[in-house]
Amino acid sequence: MIKAQKLTKIYGKGELETVVLKDLDLEINDGEFVAIIGPSGAGKSTLLYQLSLLDNPTRGEVYLEGHKTSMLSETVKTALRLSKLGYVFQDYALLPELNALENVMLPMYVAGMKGADAHAKAKKALERVNLLDKLVNKPSQLSGGQQQRVAIARAIAHEPKILFADEPTANLDSASAEPVMEAFIQLHKSGQTIIMVTHEEEYASKAQRIIALKDGVIVSDTARHRG
Amino acid sequence: MRRIAHFFGQYQIAFSVGWFLAIRSIRHSSKWTTGLIVFIMVLTFLNLVVVSGLLRGLIAGSFEAFRQSYSGEVIITAAPKQEYIENSPALLSYLRGNSRIQAISARYAASVQLLGTLNDLPDKGERPNKIGIRLVGIDLPSEEKLTGFSRFIMSGEMLRDDEEGYALIGANMLKKYSAFADANIPGLDLLSDVEVGSRVRVNLSVEGDTVVSKEFIIKGIVKSKVDEISTRMFIPAKELKRMLPVNKEQYQEVAIKTDAAYAPVLVGEIRQFMGPYQARIQTSLEAVPSFLRDVETTMSLLGNSLSSIALVVAATTIFIVIFINAITKRKFIGIMKGIGISPKVIELSYVFQAIIYGLVGSAIGLFLTFFVLKPYFAANPINFPFSDGILVATPDGAALRVAILLVVTLIAGYIPAKMIVGRNTLDAILGR
Repeated sequence: MIKAQKLTKIYGKGELETVVLKDLDLEINDGEFVAIIGPSGAGKSTLLYQLSLLDNPTRGEVYLEGHKTSMLSETVKTALRLSKLGYVFQDYALLPELNALENVMLPMYVAGMKGADAHAKAKKALERVNLLDKLVNKPSQLSGGQQQRVAIARAIAHEPKILFADEPTANLDSASAEPVMEAFIQLHKSGQTIIMVTHEEEYASKAQRIIALKDGVIVSDTARHRG
Repeated sequence: MRRIAHFFGQYQIAFSVGWFLAIRSIRHSSKWTTGLIVFIMVLTFLNLVVVSGLLRGLIAGSFEAFRQSYSGEVIITAAPKQEYIENSPALLSYLRGNSRIQAISARYAASVQLLGTLNDLPDKGERPNKIGIRLVGIDLPSEEKLTGFSRFIMSGEMLRDDEEGYALIGANMLKKYSAFADANIPGLDLLSDVEVGSRVRVNLSVEGDTVVSKEFIIKGIVKSKVDEISTRMFIPAKELKRMLPVNKEQYQEVAIKTDAAYAPVLVGEIRQFMGPYQARIQTSLEAVPSFLRDVETTMSLLGNSLSSIALVVAATTIFIVIFINAITKRKFIGIMKGIGISPKVIELSYVFQAIIYGLVGSAIGLFLTFFVLKPYFAANPINFPFSDGILVATPDGAALRVAILLVVTLIAGYIPAKMIVGRNTLDAILGR
């Protein structure tokens, strides 16, 4: 479970001060698939950065599995991201010098997993996103949609508690975006907690719960039931 | 205990992943860029080893020539204020009984006056064609074995044991050949009009006003960059022995050829053998004039100064390369941190890249130094007026320079990596 309490994020100082998140309270339970939507500048990505421990809030607190995170050092946060969180970036963010399998294996290697185990888990993760035939392809040899699915495989291979996705379909055409969204749906069905930022209503509708932000505050929080 | 094991485990992982990323990054980077960096590292290594090696080699070349042409590995001369090496016959017997000695040359030497013009007396007020010179009596087969003396003949022929009345003279004592002939140095007398075939007279002062005179025909002119050859006159030892009125069995110089490593030991053994008898016993290097050793030290300092500039250039190059490499991959560095890869691993990957560049550059540099340049300069020494310059490069010295280069490379690689990796993760990801 992840919880935000009185979460506030302010950029700049004095006249340049911009309040992006305002005393925001939020609780996301294990196994939920949450879509965060809103217009540009609503604070969607900023909220995701705070929840995923990539950024520190100006005020307020993020609780991960009931533990405060504001007092944690950067090293501990990095270790937490490695062990408990998964992250899918808008522009895939794969390392160009590594092939698909190596990109997926890398975080597990760093986490201290043995080569054979990391290899098996990476293959399994790539299988889940239907990329078993692209193991040795470098990112430059993959389409945008395939790269994003490799990124998803990388994010889920180590079985994180929560998977964060920041506009995962923003750079994809609809044909490429479909398999990516399908991958998220399948992951959710298997019990994965997913928090996804998107500005596309169509993809947000695939989520179980939709949180709408405007000017840094939650304007709606709707639970949905997919058919 | 578990904590320590965990700590080392973490470092082991960091090293192995850092190495993996470094190798992949180098493989993925442009071959031209990698080639350029390695080329700069090779040049830096050569600058470290070859520049100082050549500067030292100018002097080391003269040391080597001194050893090969005159002193052998050990040289025994008369003690200061002594006319000869005391107990010479027993000393020579002792030396001949040592199986580790490869050759011995015992020389007589005396200071004489040498008249170059015998027929024409000088005009009034004109200086006579006369010089002071060291006359050396050599045993021809022994000297040939020790120094290969005949190779110094630049004109004329080598002496023969079955002839008498012939001499060799050093080129530097003849106006025609001396490099100082036109320098007009006060006190420097050189012989005029003396050539191969010229008749000269030696006047050897002995006790009181007694002078022993003998005429010689110049059979050859000897030239070497070692003054002990090119400023002396040479006749067979038996002829000089006959000219000496007393102490005919006592020599002035004994040169010994043996293994270089054994030379210092032999010096100690000879000193022990000599006991109360006086002589100056030195290794070749000890016999070299101290000012030359000072010059060698100065050359080494100069070489090291130049090398340190090369090191700064290499460090700056590596710094720039790693900095640009890291800054262009700033977003990926941020992403790696974002997905939980520790900064330590990322920094290590850049440090390893720098070390790989340094190692490859050093390996090529070592190959060029020991398999190309050193043999080349040994076969084609640099022709300096006072020596044949060689390249001084030892495995120890080269290893030290490799270590220095790697340490500098490591630091130059670490600093920019630390600077970039240390930046805010989110800013790096978002390109802010």
